[in-house]
Amino acid sequence: MKTVDIVERIEGEAKLVCQWEKNKISDVRVEFLNFRGFEYILKGKAPLDALVYTPRICGICGQAHLKATVEALEQIYKNHNEELIITNKAKLLREVGLNIEIIDSHIKWFYMFIMPDVVKFSNNDYSEYKALKGKKWLEASACASEVIKVLAIIGGQWPHTSYMIPGGVVSDPTLLDLTTMQNYIDYGIKFFENNLVGMEIENYLSFNEAEDLYKVKADLKDFITLSFENGFEKIGKSYNRHLVLGSSLSFEEGKINKKLIKNIDFENIEELSLNTFNIDKSKNSKDAYTWSKSALYANNFYETGPLSRTLVQNRKFISSVHKHYKDSMFTRVMARMDELGFLLKKTKELIKRVDISEDSFIKPKISINEFKHGLAEVAVEACRGSLYHEVEIEDGKISKYDVITPTVWNLGPGIDGKLSTSQKAIIGTNSIEKAKLILRSFDVCSVCTTH
Amino acid sequence: MTSRECSKPKIVWLQAITCNGNTHSLLSANANRLKLFLDSFNLIYHPSLTTELLLEELLQQNEEIDFLLVEGAITSNKDFFQISNQTTSEVLKKLVLKSKYLIAVGSCASYGGVHKKFEQNSDIFGLEEALEKKEISSLFHPIINLTGCPVHPEWIFQTLFSLKEYKKIGLDEKGRPKEIYSHLAHHGCTRNEYFEWKVEAKSFGLKEGCLFYEQGCRGPMTHSNCNRVLWNDVNTKTRAGMPCIGCTEFDFPRDNMLETKKNIGIPDQVPIGVSKRAYLSLAGVAKTFKIERLHERIIK
Repeated sequence: MKTVDIVERIEGEAKLVCQWEKNKISDVRVEFLNFRGFEYILKGKAPLDALVYTPRICGICGQAHLKATVEALEQIYKNHNEELIITNKAKLLREVGLNIEIIDSHIKWFYMFIMPDVVKFSNNDYSEYKALKGKKWLEASACASEVIKVLAIIGGQWPHTSYMIPGGVVSDPTLLDLTTMQNYIDYGIKFFENNLVGMEIENYLSFNEAEDLYKVKADLKDFITLSFENGFEKIGKSYNRHLVLGSSLSFEEGKINKKLIKNIDFENIEELSLNTFNIDKSKNSKDAYTWSKSALYANNFYETGPLSRTLVQNRKFISSVHKHYKDSMFTRVMARMDELGFLLKKTKELIKRVDISEDSFIKPKISINEFKHGLAEVAVEACRGSLYHEVEIEDGKISKYDVITPTVWNLGPGIDGKLSTSQKAIIGTNSIEKAKLILRSFDVCSVCTTH
Repeated sequence: MTSRECSKPKIVWLQAITCNGNTHSLLSANANRLKLFLDSFNLIYHPSLTTELLLEELLQQNEEIDFLLVEGAITSNKDFFQISNQTTSEVLKKLVLKSKYLIAVGSCASYGGVHKKFEQNSDIFGLEEALEKKEISSLFHPIINLTGCPVHPEWIFQTLFSLKEYKKIGLDEKGRPKEIYSHLAHHGCTRNEYFEWKVEAKSFGLKEGCLFYEQGCRGPMTHSNCNRVLWNDVNTKTRAGMPCIGCTEFDFPRDNMLETKKNIGIPDQVPIGVSKRAYLSLAGVAKTFKIERLHERIIK
C-alpha cells in the first residue's frame, strides 16, 4: 500500500510518500516541490548584496544565513592576506543576534509546531495548547515577540536585517541598550521558568541524569508525560550519527559516529543531486523526485541540530537522556527545549561581556569588489542545525554561491541505497500521525531545504 | 463555533513563493495587538499555524472569505513550485473568486520582490500582474499592496481594522495604503539632523552621521513609515545604523544596496521632489556651517 500526505506547518510544505507493509512504513520519501533558486539569483551580484539576499532564504533563520555570508566574505579577505580585525564587541553582538533568533525559533517550534500535534494523542483536555486561541499558545507568542527585541536593538528589526557586515556590525549600542537587552532576555528566562519547566533556570540547568526527567514540571512535563504514554521515546530512531559543523562561543564543532571526534574538515562534505530535479527539465534524472539535494559527511548521512550539538558538547542532562532513549523523537524534542534554557543563560552572559568602548566596525582597507578571485567556505549553527555556505568571487562579482542548510542534512533524499537520516527515522513506524511527528521532530523547514 | 465567532470577518492567509518572513514578522508583533487581532478576526487558514482547515478543504468549501492575504510571489510554473499539487496561480485564482478583499502581504506578493530575480523561472509575478482584470472583478476593492521585506505587522493590523470599520482605504498609484506609504522612511529617523547639515557617517558602526552619502541609505527615497511605527516596538534599521535598502519600493532589491552610487562625488539620486541643482546648492551651503557638535561623538 502506498500513501501520499501533504505535510503543512513546516515553514512551507512537503509530501510524505510512504510504502506500507504489515501495517508498518517500509519505505518513505520526503518530497519538497518548491524551488526558489537563491543560488542562481546570487550569481553575478555584488558580494555585499549577498548580505541582503541570503537572510531572505528563510524568514526564521535569516540571521544564521547573514552570519554565514559575512564570515564567508571575511574569509575571502583573509585568503588574500588582508585579514580584517573583528573586535570582540562585534563578535559578541553577532553571536547574541544569532542566539536570539534560535531562542525565538525554539519557543515558537514547541508551542506552535509540536505541542498542537502531540496533544492530539491524548483524550485529556489540553485545550490551553490550542493554536491562535489557547492561553499557552498566546503566552508563547508573546514571549517570542518580547525576546526578539534583543536582536531588534542591535539589528534595527527582525526578521531581515543585515546588521553584520565585513569588518563588524553596523550598530553601536549604549550601556542602556545592553541593559534593556538583558531585561528582554530575563522575560524569556521567566517564561522558561514559569511556563516551560516550572522551576528556576539554574535548578533545571544543574540536571545531569535521565532520572531528572521526573523533576521537570509545567509544559515540558506535559510533553514528557504524553511521550511516555504514547511511546515517543521508542520511535524516530535513526543512525545516531551526529554532526556539528559550526563552532562559536556557544557551540563546539565535532562529529559522533560511535565515538566523538572534535575535528571537522570541510573536505569531507559532499552534496549530491541524484534524486534532485534539475532547473533544466531535459536534464532531469529518472530518479528525481524532490528539489532537495543530499548532503553527506565522509560518505555518511549525519543528523544535525540541537541534539547533535548537545551530544558533541556533552551537556550532561540530555546526554544521559540520550543514553537511555537514543536519537528518538522524544530525545530530539527534549534536546531542543534544553538548548532553549542553555542559550537563554549563555546569551545573557555574552551580552554582559560586551565592552561598549570597543569599536563596532573597522573599515576594510580595500573593497571586496577589488578581488579578482576569491573562495570561501564557512559553517554556522542555525536553529535547525549546521548551515554551510560556499562563496566564489570572480572579478568582484559572485560567480558561485552554494548553500547546504541543516534540513538538507536531515531531510534530503537517501542515495545509493543508503537511507537519509529522516528516512531511517520514519521507516518502521506504524501510523502516519507518528511519522509526521517524527518528521517534525527534525524541525523541518521546507523553504530552507530547497532555497 | 460560537455565533460571535461566526460574525467575525474571515481571513485566509495563503503562502506562495516566500521565505515566510512576513508570517514571522506577524508573529513578532506586539503581543496585545496580536491578541486583539486574533480576537477580532477569524483566521480560518494559515499554512504555518495550526488552523482547522487544510488547503485542500479550504478550496472545496463554498464559504466566503472576507480578507484573502497572500504572502509571496505567484507562478504558474508547476515544475518549480507547487502547493498541494497545484500551482500558486491556480490556488490564488480559486480563492480570489470567494474573497471580498485581496491583500498582498510583503513586496514579493506585491511586485515579485526577491523571488522575481530567479530569472530561470520567467513566470514570477506579484498579485496584480498575475491576475487578469476579469479575475479580480468580483472583489469589493482594488488589490491592496502592503509592501515591505518583510511587511511591518502593524501595517497589516491597521489595514485590516480600517477595512473592517470603514470598508475602504485610500491607495497610492502603486496600490499601497496612502496613510502608511506617503511617508518616507526618512521621516522620524534619528539621524535626520546629520542629513540636514550634510554630515556623513564616517563608517558603519557609529551612532553619528547620515548613511545617505556613502552607505546607500534610501530613506529619503523610500515610502514607508518605519521610523514612525517602530519595528518590534523598539527600533529601525536606520536608527540602529543599517542603511534603508528601499524594501517597500517596486524596484527592490536593487544592485549595490550597501553603497551610494555617485557621479563626480555627488549622489546619483537625491531626495524625492528635490531637483539635483537645488540639492547641490543647499548641500554646499549646509556644509559651510560646520557645526562642531555634529562632528563629535554623542557619548564621550
